[in-house]
Amino acid sequence: MSTNRWFATGNFYTTYEEEQRIFKTNVDRLFFALFLVSLFIWPFFIEASNRNMLVINNILIAVVAVYGLNLVTGFAGLISIGHAAFVGIGAYTLAGTARAIGDNHVLITHAWPLMILISGFVGAVFGAFVGLPAMRLKHLYLAIATLSFQMIFTWTINFMTFFNQGQMIAVGRVFWITGKVGRKDHYFFWYYVILVTAVICGLAVRNLLRTRYGRCLVAVRDNDRAADAMGMHPGLTKVYAFALAGFFAGVAGALHTYMFRGAGFESFTLHHSIIYLAMAIVGGLGTLPGSLLGPVAIKTLELQMEHLSEWAGTFLPATMNLATALRPLGFGLVIVLFLMFEPRGMANWWRICRSYFKLWPFRY
Amino acid sequence: MSYFFQLVVSGMVVGSIYALSALGFVLIYKSSRVLNIAHGQIIAAGAFIVYALTVWAGVHIIPSFLASMVITFFLSMSVERVFLRRLIGEPIISVIMVTIGLMSILDGLIYLTPFGSVNYSFPEFLPTTPISLGGVSISWTQLVGVIITAILIGAFSWFFKRSTIGVSMRAVSDDQLASMSVGISVPKVFGLAWAMAGLSAAAAGGIIGNITGLNFETLRAFGITVFPVVILGGLDSIIGAVVAGIIMGLIQQFAAGYLDGNWGLNGTADVLPYIILLVILLFKPHGLFGTHEIERV
Amino acid sequence: MAVGLALAFMAPVQAAESYQLGLSLAITGPTSDAGNPYSKGVEDYMRLVNETGILGDAKVDCPIRDDMYETAVTKRNFEDFLDQGMVLFLSYATGANLALANDFTEVEIPVIPASFHKGIADASNYIFLPIASYSHQYVGLGEFVAKNHKGGGVPKVAAFIHPSAFGRAPLEDFKTAVAAGLKLEIVEVVEHGKDLDNSALLKRLASKGVQYVLCQTIQSPVVTLINDSQRLGMTAKSFGEEGKLTFLGAHYTGGNDLIALAGSAAEGFYWTTSYRLTSEKGPWTDWQLELAKKYGRDDKTANSHNYTNGIMAAQVAVETIRRTREAGKEINSASLFETLNQMNGDKSYEPLTTVGPVNYSDTDRMGVDTLQLYVVKNGVFRAEGEPFKPEFLK
Repeated sequence: MSTNRWFATGNFYTTYEEEQRIFKTNVDRLFFALFLVSLFIWPFFIEASNRNMLVINNILIAVVAVYGLNLVTGFAGLISIGHAAFVGIGAYTLAGTARAIGDNHVLITHAWPLMILISGFVGAVFGAFVGLPAMRLKHLYLAIATLSFQMIFTWTINFMTFFNQGQMIAVGRVFWITGKVGRKDHYFFWYYVILVTAVICGLAVRNLLRTRYGRCLVAVRDNDRAADAMGMHPGLTKVYAFALAGFFAGVAGALHTYMFRGAGFESFTLHHSIIYLAMAIVGGLGTLPGSLLGPVAIKTLELQMEHLSEWAGTFLPATMNLATALRPLGFGLVIVLFLMFEPRGMANWWRICRSYFKLWPFRY
Repeated sequence: MSYFFQLVVSGMVVGSIYALSALGFVLIYKSSRVLNIAHGQIIAAGAFIVYALTVWAGVHIIPSFLASMVITFFLSMSVERVFLRRLIGEPIISVIMVTIGLMSILDGLIYLTPFGSVNYSFPEFLPTTPISLGGVSISWTQLVGVIITAILIGAFSWFFKRSTIGVSMRAVSDDQLASMSVGISVPKVFGLAWAMAGLSAAAAGGIIGNITGLNFETLRAFGITVFPVVILGGLDSIIGAVVAGIIMGLIQQFAAGYLDGNWGLNGTADVLPYIILLVILLFKPHGLFGTHEIERV
Repeated sequence: MAVGLALAFMAPVQAAESYQLGLSLAITGPTSDAGNPYSKGVEDYMRLVNETGILGDAKVDCPIRDDMYETAVTKRNFEDFLDQGMVLFLSYATGANLALANDFTEVEIPVIPASFHKGIADASNYIFLPIASYSHQYVGLGEFVAKNHKGGGVPKVAAFIHPSAFGRAPLEDFKTAVAAGLKLEIVEVVEHGKDLDNSALLKRLASKGVQYVLCQTIQSPVVTLINDSQRLGMTAKSFGEEGKLTFLGAHYTGGNDLIALAGSAAEGFYWTTSYRLTSEKGPWTDWQLELAKKYGRDDKTANSHNYTNGIMAAQVAVETIRRTREAGKEINSASLFETLNQMNGDKSYEPLTTVGPVNYSDTDRMGVDTLQLYVVKNGVFRAEGEPFKPEFLK
């Protein structure tokens, strides 16, 4: 038996506590620490343009949102085609407050961490409410119930004058200890806020899955009747899965509103719900690294396809729509091919790669 | 009163077009349990093929309508063969995701053609004067649309009830393993289901294209618009699609006719179907005509 | 050695001075049927500028990005262009302009949008509408109805609008104009959905005595509406026929695409815009068709009013740069902003693609003030009367 965890080959658990550890080996812990540190310090060494910071922030916001989607769809097995609407609930909680009390009210500009948290809770309340049909509905019928919520959300925002009928509701610039966060530091500042939020949320999810409540989700996904027999309440578990998803989405929505300095309904449509779903699936449903890898992969792919079509446009004859067509075509092809050959998502590569190192020098 | 009857007639017409569009979902779901998100794109493709054949190749509308159905039949079948055959047995959500990717691919392919960015309208081949009866009117295009829908749905129902292939398709949807053991080729059944869905999509596309003109955005949005219809009817019931389609058509027309413009409401026809859907699902969790699954631990 | 290196770096900069612009619009996704020809208009004119030397030896670099009508993407493109040193921004949708208005003001960059929403110019002083706003177009249509209404009584109108900021844009001003004495009665404001059949709507409007439907939306909803109206036999044969409906629309409802989609149902549709159309032959249209031919555009694009729309936005941008250069000033956002503000009086600009001159001032953010009314006759848009300015809206 290897007592030195640095050189462990394979899994040798002797207690349940050991199996439930967040970091299985010290190498894990070391790599994770290095990864985190590098995330925090790179902006001081590499100069990133506003546009790149915007893209990175956008990815991190999507990561927070996808944590939620992965909980409800990956761990609890409930397909949600309305996740963007939950993100929208968070965004509009903040934007609605801004509209009610003024976009430069102290509550918005100074107590922004509180506002982000409140948005999360409002998201959770709506999540639980939308999850109610899950008591009775299953599979695609439930998926369509979430789709209905998406449609009703978009319509309501568009209809109500309080929400400016879907037009942009502006939110003022926030204050930090050093004073007002101006345009120059805007993306830089929010990078750290979003990064910290993403890390906290990630750890929260990881820990949740080690508890009874987290395992409950997985049990209900795998077989809700059996879970019922084991003394869990499948209906309530599903509702609570939706509430959790709503919370993360709400937080992501508030971050979105702050970073884009306002909320407009275009960012929370069905199309975005589908993109969130794509992120969760490509990343790997029911895995934590998947929630990280998925948004990174999809957003990068989108950008690369944009570059590709722009580059193609420079030498293709202007009469053809080829450059326009290339973006959706390439995007779809990559996703379809990827899923055909790796339906379990990118997290599976991560798993294979890890186990290779762990088991080395043996093959399995 | 004629206002009321006009709403009923319009609702039935729109409803039957919904039913025809929903049919494609039902056919695929019935045999392979997959929800094809890219159906709207196939509808659009069908409409564009009809136009290309009639206007650019100069074929008469009726043969080109049929030809378009044949083309999408094979198009859809090859989509299944190339992209989805590998995924048999994979988690259903991955398969649905593949259809989402497919949506993007088909979008890209359609942007390659002029149809992606330019609008067209069909040449008028039917009389433009409407048929009127006691203040209620219906256009020839709509009437022909309803008739085609009725024929197609009748044919599909007959096919599933009576023909050998139809029965074997139902068998596959019931139990894949058992049907394989009696010699039914499951992959072939899947291919056929997709092909037939493609055929119905072309028919739907041809009809919708005649009513709205050929605008890609409008046509592909149809794939999403008919979701509540499909679910309301029960995902795997053809008769459900028809009944739900007509119900939705009527709801929308009544919403537009009696709700909009009163109490400051507007555009309720877009959202009401979803609200009613939610309410109905609370009482009938498998839609109106969907099969109840018997679940065992 | 060092001098040599420095020269090597200096030389290309002097030889080909290049001004950075940027255009972000919907080439795919919602409203792409307008955005697509618009982008081609901008692209072709920019190429013409660079090839024929309209700016002397200087070039313009105008990257065009597809934002799929999504504000978040527009914002990303905007930041990207700024990073590249953009001096003037060509924007597109109403929603995106409203969302980015604060940013425009902060970085003080002049913006020429494709949206003619009056509200966006109020939101940021740096937005320069190319032509008369939706409000002006809408009120102009209203005035035309009030003047030409034949039967007795006050003409009853309904507003048929897109369910978005874009659609609702002219309503406030329209209502104000009616309150100020424009002889119309607004019976109903309809925000349309994605209806396949508008029988309910049309019958309801008819039962309320509506005779004129003013549309502020994109083409396809108008198409289903006028198709249904034709089917129900409710379309007026001549303007203002009693008991029937006459349809009128603002810039984005009309154009050749409307005829392409609606066919004979478009007959008698009234439409207003500030652009000249290729169906009304003139030197300007020949010029446009030649430009389109030069860069291999198809007929549909060449004759699209949104192609003209794009060309005109590019013309204004390039003309601003040309004048600033002529004045010997350095080209940056501030100097371009100043030049745009001085574009009035004898300095107003005649782009030929519009029915009137472009003029801006410190208080005027609307380029072409005049509008032209067009009507569909035998399948083509024909000019109706002379260019006009709405009286009830300044």
